[in-house]
Amino acid sequence: MKLPARMVVVLTGVSLLAAAFLAGVNLLTRERIATNKQKEIEAAISLVIPGARSSRKVYEERGFSVYAGSDESGNLLGWAVESVTGGFQDNIIFLVGADAELSRIRRLYILEQKETPGLGAKITDEKTFLQFWEGKDMNLPLALRKPPAGKEDLGPAEVNTITGATISSEAVLSGVTLSLDRLKKLRSEGRLEGEGSHAR
Amino acid sequence: MPDKTLGQEFVKGLWAENPVSRQLLGMCSTLAVTNAVVNGLAMGLAVAFVLILSSLFVSLIRKIIPNQVRIASYIVIIASFVTIADRFMAAYFPPLSKALGPYVPLIVVNCIILGRAEAFASRNSAGRSLIDALGMSLGYTIALVILSAIRELLGSGTLLGRPVLGAWFEPWVIMLLPPGAFLTLGILIAAAFAIERKARRRRSA
Amino acid sequence: MNLVLLFVSAVLINNFVLHYFLGICPFLGVSKKVDAALSMGVAVTFVLALTAVVTWPINHWLLIPYGMPYLQIVSFILVIASLVQLVEMFVRKTSPPLYQAMGIYLPLITVNCAIMGLALLASLKEYGFAETVVFGVGAGIGFTLAIVLMAAIRERLELADVPWPLRGAPIALIVAGIMALAFLGFSGMIK
Repeated sequence: MKLPARMVVVLTGVSLLAAAFLAGVNLLTRERIATNKQKEIEAAISLVIPGARSSRKVYEERGFSVYAGSDESGNLLGWAVESVTGGFQDNIIFLVGADAELSRIRRLYILEQKETPGLGAKITDEKTFLQFWEGKDMNLPLALRKPPAGKEDLGPAEVNTITGATISSEAVLSGVTLSLDRLKKLRSEGRLEGEGSHAR
Repeated sequence: MPDKTLGQEFVKGLWAENPVSRQLLGMCSTLAVTNAVVNGLAMGLAVAFVLILSSLFVSLIRKIIPNQVRIASYIVIIASFVTIADRFMAAYFPPLSKALGPYVPLIVVNCIILGRAEAFASRNSAGRSLIDALGMSLGYTIALVILSAIRELLGSGTLLGRPVLGAWFEPWVIMLLPPGAFLTLGILIAAAFAIERKARRRRSA
Repeated sequence: MNLVLLFVSAVLINNFVLHYFLGICPFLGVSKKVDAALSMGVAVTFVLALTAVVTWPINHWLLIPYGMPYLQIVSFILVIASLVQLVEMFVRKTSPPLYQAMGIYLPLITVNCAIMGLALLASLKEYGFAETVVFGVGAGIGFTLAIVLMAAIRERLELADVPWPLRGAPIALIVAGIMALAFLGFSGMIK
């Protein structure tokens, strides 16, 4: 076979074989990968809406998603918002749970962060940061308390700052505030999918 | 030059031609994922997978690939194996896959793999190429594990996630960050140079 | 995301070399002289911009809509290899003196982790077209900044008395570590 023809044949052959092989690998793995993603979100949602057994995505746009969490009987337990905020080093992706009436925060969970280990990374820590968000009043402006106080001394909309990680703490605060405001707005505009069929 | 024995082909990758400390290849991944031993180990295994299989493949088809398209063909082969490694990791080891992030796909531009394909696998039998790849992979993994052990120990006080140094130790967080990576690798390579030079002096004395 | 912030972030805060560890091989290999470093930096920036422009449509108009994201790695690297080849041919034909100055670096750029890294990161972060291009150009400028700084320091190091085990790569890595430390100071610049 002449050289140019051989070049084309070999290269095309190798590429086609590779593509076919990869398509096969894709078929083998894609379900598992999708399931992994699904499980991760569901585990996180049941963390931020305690008692939730199932969830449904009711709103989505780039960098902002809302899920509705229900118990075994299908009763709406609360809403979870997944959103992004700009942190110290890179973006922080968090999930915040609110109760069904949108009056109180249930819980907060950090999905992804690249903050400074030992400082900003403490936003994932239950004891120093996350626990203070539980039960805060969603209809008051959330604020950071610096220096950190005991849980009983915090106001109804106050959360503790992490010592030495003001920027990371503020990033989470602004992200959560914006997300919850958005959630309330979407709810009042009736734009959350499947509205009115559960929360009676 | 006399042909190396198979044993020598294997061992050279561990020290004399170690990809990290001697050939200075594949440093992007080395620096990025060595902040914990489990990550370094996983990356080493991923690279081993790609290196061994692609060297094998390249060696098997070396006679039918025309010279002009060989680099392109090698790239397709390597990229395919990298994709397989990446997909498999995402499917069966999701937290590892997340920790290593884009650095698994980046194995495709890891100079070690293309370098071995071009310098060795394309001119040697499948058997030899396999042994060469095994040696290089092992050398690479060992280097990664040493580097990540130091970084994890000093940066978090743990090894493989388990606390090793007591509570008295205040972790050197900098070790987990880029500066720590650069500094540790630099010192390790200097140590390798020093050991090699002293060994050579002793041999010729 | 605000394009200006993205640009600043790519150049300083999340510098491709000192934060993402991309482009280390040329960073260590071509940083002995400032003019060589500058040429490499410019070449890399150019290829990065081109890569951003070409890979984004391929990713978002072909691979993702037709359910083939798993072909990203293969497609990106082939595109990059071809782009570099084309750029080399173009430079050789249109400007021989430029080719003399920069030509040898061009083939190396194919395996520069920074190029592939750009394509992958932009895809991972789901950037739009404008964002990807800004990210690419910013990455290139950040790379150039790092490599030129490194070259300037290494030119002086040549005259210093470096202990023999540290000569070459080790001292370069240690310098890189100190540079990375300095660049850490840019974190939190944009809130």
